[in-house]
Amino acid sequence: MIKSPIPGMEPACRKDKPKLISTPTRGDRGRQKSAQQELKQRQRAEIYALNKVMTELEQQQFEAFCKQMQSQGE
Amino acid sequence: MTGPTPPSRTGTSPAKLSRHGRSRSSGSLYLLRCSRQEDGKDGGVQFYVNRSGFPIDSSTWDRMWTHVAALHPEGQEMVTRIRNASYLPKHPVPAVPTFRASMSVSDWLLTVQKYMKALQYNHTGTQFFEIKKSRPLCGLMETAREMIRESLPIKCLEAVILGIYLTNGMTSLERFPISFKTHFSGHCFHHVVLGVYCNGRYGSLGMSRRQDLMDKPLTHRTLGDLVAEFESSYQKYQHTLAKVKIGLYVPHDPHVFQPIEWKYLVLNASRLGAEDMKKELEKHGRDMKMKILKSSSAQSPIKERSRGKSLSPRRRQGSAQQLLVRRRDKSSSVERRPAELSTLSDGYQIRI
Repeated sequence: MIKSPIPGMEPACRKDKPKLISTPTRGDRGRQKSAQQELKQRQRAEIYALNKVMTELEQQQFEAFCKQMQSQGE
Repeated sequence: MTGPTPPSRTGTSPAKLSRHGRSRSSGSLYLLRCSRQEDGKDGGVQFYVNRSGFPIDSSTWDRMWTHVAALHPEGQEMVTRIRNASYLPKHPVPAVPTFRASMSVSDWLLTVQKYMKALQYNHTGTQFFEIKKSRPLCGLMETAREMIRESLPIKCLEAVILGIYLTNGMTSLERFPISFKTHFSGHCFHHVVLGVYCNGRYGSLGMSRRQDLMDKPLTHRTLGDLVAEFESSYQKYQHTLAKVKIGLYVPHDPHVFQPIEWKYLVLNASRLGAEDMKKELEKHGRDMKMKILKSSSAQSPIKERSRGKSLSPRRRQGSAQQLLVRRRDKSSSVERRPAELSTLSDGYQIRI
């Protein structure tokens, strides 16, 4: 007859060893850095594309405003 | 240009915008109200600040796109076109200026300004580099190095910090901040440039939406002349000068822990006559040259002055000049009346 184990008192041999958390390897870090660099480059390209569009918008609005002011003055 | 000093924030949740008075006409800009705390306002139009570093985190990134989608007439279509583009041209990284012994101070200033222009003025509505004006100089110089490293568009405050960094070591050149507060169409606008002084001449470095409100050549004989030039430029854009704040010379040592003195002299342009303003500015210029001024970290904080004199409380009470100034302040005779508000109803603001 096998007695059920008393809770909290487990045999030492059945004690689970803590699992080792895998540390990032040099390769992983390198890949992460490369991915970050690519993301930064892509973000930079998008920022400058956006800035071009918004600069043009500002210029258009400014010119329209000046024309409006001029016609009002006349 | 900048808005008021942004409050410190920890969250970067995407903006939820409610729109008021929005118009998609080509000549219009509309004022947006945000349901959460804003990073700052640029003449009534909000702007955000990237506090997540680089690469920019997803919430800050998405917030930038949401903001521009609300501003641009093509809205989400424009955003999708850029974000989904399989190919985008690579904006060249401008070469960092390198000083050569054969360069004159003016040549170097031109080189520095050219570099800043190559980065471009930031029209995206999201400021990419966080600048806390109260930070020690050494910390701000670290941000300047980041600006060079990341090579992204900048606004006026970032340009001042970058200008300081790129002119460090040129000991014959003194640098000091010049801040402007102006009014246009019922809104306040803030702008800052880096004043420079060398060999008896004043000029400036900076970035702005407007070409004549940034760099000025080192040809102005007095600080009053330089500020008058800015005021004249502002008038072309129907901005009325409300306040001018002049700081102290910034040390050339990039490792200094003290903060930049941004507003040693504060002049209320709407109350002072043009001549009085010029006198105060010229006096401040002379005092700076004689290096007799100490930053507020070395003395009690400087309050706004109409006359520019730093008086002890006891002297202030008894000073006839101060009484005259107070009386003058109350009267409207020397007060500069602001220009009439723009009658255009489509909401466009000439931002600087």
